[in-house]
Amino acid sequence: MTTAPERAAGGPFDPTGVTWTPVSSRLAGARLTAMGITTAIVLLVLVPIPLLTGAAWTWAFPAVVVAPMLWAAVLVPRQVRAHAYAERADDLLVRKGILFRQLVVVPYGRMQYVDVTAGPLARRFRIASVQLHTASPNTNATIDGLPPEEAARLRDQLASRGEAQLAGL
Amino acid sequence: MSEPARPELTEPAPPEPVPVDGARTRPDVATPVPAEPVPVGAASARPDLTKPVPTEPVPAPGDAALDADPAAAVALPEPAADSRVWRRMHPVTPAIKGWRVLVGAIAVLGYQFGDDLRNAAELVGDGRWRFVVGGLVLVAAVGFVYALLAWRMTRFAVTDQAVHLHTGVLFRQQRQARLDRLQAVDVVQPLLARITGLAELKLEVAGGSGSAVSLAFLKQDEAEALRSELLARAAGLHVGAGAPQGGPVVEAAPEHQVFEVPMARLVQSVLRSGVTLWAGVFVVPVIVGVVWTREPGAVFIMVPAFFGIAGAIWSAINQGANFRAAISPDGIRLRHGLTEARAQTVPPGRVQALAITQGPLWRGKDWWRVQMNVAGYGGAGEQQTENVLLPVGTRDDAVLALWLVLPDLGVADPRAVVEAGLSGSAADDAFGFLTVPRRARLLDLLAWNRRGVLVTDRALLVRSGRFIRRLVVVPHERTQSLQLDQGPLQRRFGVASLVVHSTPGPVSPRVDHLDAAVAAALLDEQAERARTARANAGPEQWMRREGTA
Repeated sequence: MTTAPERAAGGPFDPTGVTWTPVSSRLAGARLTAMGITTAIVLLVLVPIPLLTGAAWTWAFPAVVVAPMLWAAVLVPRQVRAHAYAERADDLLVRKGILFRQLVVVPYGRMQYVDVTAGPLARRFRIASVQLHTASPNTNATIDGLPPEEAARLRDQLASRGEAQLAGL
Repeated sequence: MSEPARPELTEPAPPEPVPVDGARTRPDVATPVPAEPVPVGAASARPDLTKPVPTEPVPAPGDAALDADPAAAVALPEPAADSRVWRRMHPVTPAIKGWRVLVGAIAVLGYQFGDDLRNAAELVGDGRWRFVVGGLVLVAAVGFVYALLAWRMTRFAVTDQAVHLHTGVLFRQQRQARLDRLQAVDVVQPLLARITGLAELKLEVAGGSGSAVSLAFLKQDEAEALRSELLARAAGLHVGAGAPQGGPVVEAAPEHQVFEVPMARLVQSVLRSGVTLWAGVFVVPVIVGVVWTREPGAVFIMVPAFFGIAGAIWSAINQGANFRAAISPDGIRLRHGLTEARAQTVPPGRVQALAITQGPLWRGKDWWRVQMNVAGYGGAGEQQTENVLLPVGTRDDAVLALWLVLPDLGVADPRAVVEAGLSGSAADDAFGFLTVPRRARLLDLLAWNRRGVLVTDRALLVRSGRFIRRLVVVPHERTQSLQLDQGPLQRRFGVASLVVHSTPGPVSPRVDHLDAAVAAALLDEQAERARTARANAGPEQWMRREGTA
């Protein structure tokens, strides 16, 4: 499922010898639904304004909300495709973003704890997110959109690997 | 730079031989056992420091030369479970803590009425002030009674593995801090405690803010004895249980002063800091305006700003006064403070990252400020006291401060490398700093020439800043995780940023605008390097380290 822009994501963000595991494409559905719900709520407030006042220019309010949402909706599937992770022997790699790219390397030995979270919407889409925490609050290693069984496997895997390489800070 | 006493990073700079070479506690350093072992001066409860500490310490009678209890200081791998001896804080504690409530109440009142002097004057004029005073007395009484109850409920015990602290009047708390996770020990003396000869002992563990175990208040000598005991236990030395309460169980580790900050320099440095600039920007126009218009009302607008500036100057001087740094086998020892005296001990290997900075106004004097990240101290605030390794010092002092943390920089000529990091640029580079490629200079017109990173065997050195010069040093084994960032503009110029994650603190290492391929390679190598450095690093219990790993 690597189309042209994702292939271009190579170079510095694609270390050699790393096989990336993409996250579930259901994440796109979940994100789009979340965006849709937010937009709908905002529109519920904004649309009555032009309808009630009759002033045509007030349609600008809902337009201002909808336009960026539409643009974001186009981006979401690509973003989800760019989101991937890789388990190496000693560390975990997490890659995300297209415009602003990010690659995080978390050594297993530095891991303090692992979070697995799934909100109501994520549960409906059967996805969960796994977050690795080190002693640094800046470590931004979240893997969104994992199938629950994969999230559980990854959690146990990370925990056991972390234990094997246990060290202090 | 040709001062006679140019401190070298690999050499202990103090003129006399230091009883304990700082490099000794670092396992990576080749540590030759001195030909003629210098005995550690005092009858210390530690094993002779000049001898290599055995990996699996055998209770040898010769190693445990202790006058009080012959079996007390034997370094046992698995210390016997000892019965906890519960101790109380000093009985004067409530009298000191109770004041806080009153001070808080007065501060609230001052905040309420300080803005409106007329209102306050009315209050005094028509006799309502009696109610206010009465209320304050009541608040104070409640404060003292609560402090008394809290004191009755507070007790602590020290075992080989942990410090136990039970607190709480309504909501009880039992806290247990593991000693092998100890990050720093502070003895803090606020003004009142200082007058009464008491001190607070604060144990920092790496649990984020509010995770410290605070033992307040103890007699000062008791607090200091307890600190030595805790450090010895944390270092992996088994201290005999059932020691006489209050009596020193362990002799304090010998320490050697490395640098100090003269008061005159401190005051001058504050006057040369950003605070003064702000004062100039705000205060001078108002004064000119008042004189011009002869309308004194405008002065009151400045009152909050004035208090802010005065407060900033005061706290900088107050915290940095009498600053002294020393090295001991227990790590770095910092003492400072004018009203509130603070003695910090940061054991070896606990400094996660270090930053040496110089503002534009300090350049003429070539003064530098050194801050550090220590897990447990946390906080990124500029006014944080604990994170300062050197409030203001000469270039030599800054180099010494770096040496305290990292005795071996892993390069042949550490001094020259540090010089290049402090004030060098891409133009005069002789050490192979990885720098911003020329094509990307548009991204950082001012400082692209300064920005650079150097990887040595032991640490990552990141330099940056043209007006505010900055050199960040991260030991490889202290790297938490690594990150590569690239925005759209950076992609256009084929560059990327490398971010090194460290524990919370004033230092957040980051190298911007490296060539993308170089940054990617660095990310990969750095992950590898951090791993090997980590594997070679000694155990958390620093006295159990071998000479070489």
